[in-house]
Amino acid sequence: MNALRREAAVALAIARKDALAELRGRHAVIGTLFFAAVVLLLFGFALGPDSARLAAAAPGLLWLAIVLSGLLAVNRLHLLEADDGALDQLALYPVARRAIYAGKALGGFVVMLGLGVVVLGAVGILFAVDIAAAWLPLLVTVILGAIGIAAVGTFYAGLTVRLRAREVMLPLLMLPVLAPLLLASVKATAAALAGDPLGELGSWLQLLTAFDVIMVVAGAATYAYVLED
Amino acid sequence: MPQTTIYVSPRSFGVPDQRPPAVATSDLARLFAGSAALAGVSLTVEGGRAVALLGPNGAGKTTLLRLLATAIRPSFGSAWVDGLDLDRDADLVRLRVAYLSHATGLYDDLTARENLDFAAVMLDTPDRRVRVSRALEDMGLGTRADDRVGTFSAGMRKRLALGRLLLTQASLVLLDEPMAALDDDGMTLVEQLLDAWKGVGVTVIIAAHSTDRLETHLDARVVLDRGLVAEVSGEGVTTAPLTVPADPRPAVATR
Repeated sequence: MNALRREAAVALAIARKDALAELRGRHAVIGTLFFAAVVLLLFGFALGPDSARLAAAAPGLLWLAIVLSGLLAVNRLHLLEADDGALDQLALYPVARRAIYAGKALGGFVVMLGLGVVVLGAVGILFAVDIAAAWLPLLVTVILGAIGIAAVGTFYAGLTVRLRAREVMLPLLMLPVLAPLLLASVKATAAALAGDPLGELGSWLQLLTAFDVIMVVAGAATYAYVLED
Repeated sequence: MPQTTIYVSPRSFGVPDQRPPAVATSDLARLFAGSAALAGVSLTVEGGRAVALLGPNGAGKTTLLRLLATAIRPSFGSAWVDGLDLDRDADLVRLRVAYLSHATGLYDDLTARENLDFAAVMLDTPDRRVRVSRALEDMGLGTRADDRVGTFSAGMRKRLALGRLLLTQASLVLLDEPMAALDDDGMTLVEQLLDAWKGVGVTVIIAAHSTDRLETHLDARVVLDRGLVAEVSGEGVTTAPLTVPADPRPAVATR
């Protein structure tokens, strides 16, 4: 019990530290949000002015914007550790490696959740989608999606942060793994926006939950190897 | 100016005669891309000694310290800290080792106090707030405690990183070029730290190019050259073939 409490304290301290650094380096937060907005606008331009087509494509655009801007966000959280040997110092503390993973993933989840909520609102405004009518299933989908992206992103951002080609390697490694999450999130969002006429929303949320559990457990179990130089 | 008395928490090393070597290595080697940074080092360092690790660039000083700190794993050979195997008992070794590398490992967007407070949580330091404040005062950073580290000079960053070492309960302190970037006051601070650690029985190994300022504080010198021990002098360090230390785990308090 004491060990668990200690690991929780370590994870919270790491998440708090990351949140403080993110908030103080506001340019990074603003940059990520701006990138998400640009992605949405470009996809909107590419699809043309047909509002019915835009509304139909909204779930896919929403999650592409979240995933692509999420790449920047999780990478940024690990770049904090790359400055002046902070990741090496973090690895030398006498704490469980899974607690470090939990802390970094928790910080990533908070950032991804905030990003998801803002992008969801932007999609509602830009593509004239009524998100208020299905706010609860949409929020649950965003929460589950944020957990999955944070779980996968924490692992792969840790793996690539010491590489010179990290900006290239992170999406190459992370995006294929996120394919099931992207599929389930888009389907769940589309079902929620349509009022779930086929009763499939629950199944997609279950798939998302299973993805999250597998990725969190796998990340926590293998993060020790990520921290090794 | 730093205070003249630096607070270092007391340590318990059990029965003095039964204390295992603070550091023992046996043919310790580390390769990087097929090239040996450390080519087979066998050393035994008694507990409570202050030892300088000398040698030219590329001699293997930093590699040896990083191996002892568990930052990297050996390619060949073995090493023990307080009798604990570096490879097998890395988690327990981390409780006993404090390491100051070339990089300070600080977060620019956090203040000095927040940086040390974070370290104190990670190190499970008792009386966290008091110890953090004391460490800041001891390092001469009391007036800059609430400033972001991104605004600090290289010397101030080094002081803060040294302050982080005061939050540990380590029995072995590893310092890689601790004098680099420090002014005269800062160097005096390192000398005071050495004395304070020696006073409570902590073993200190310092990698340096020169020991001019530290001469009177040292017990022994080990010169490395091209990854091998070239010379050993002073007390408390031997290069004799090693008998594997008895496993101390049943007698060691673990958390």
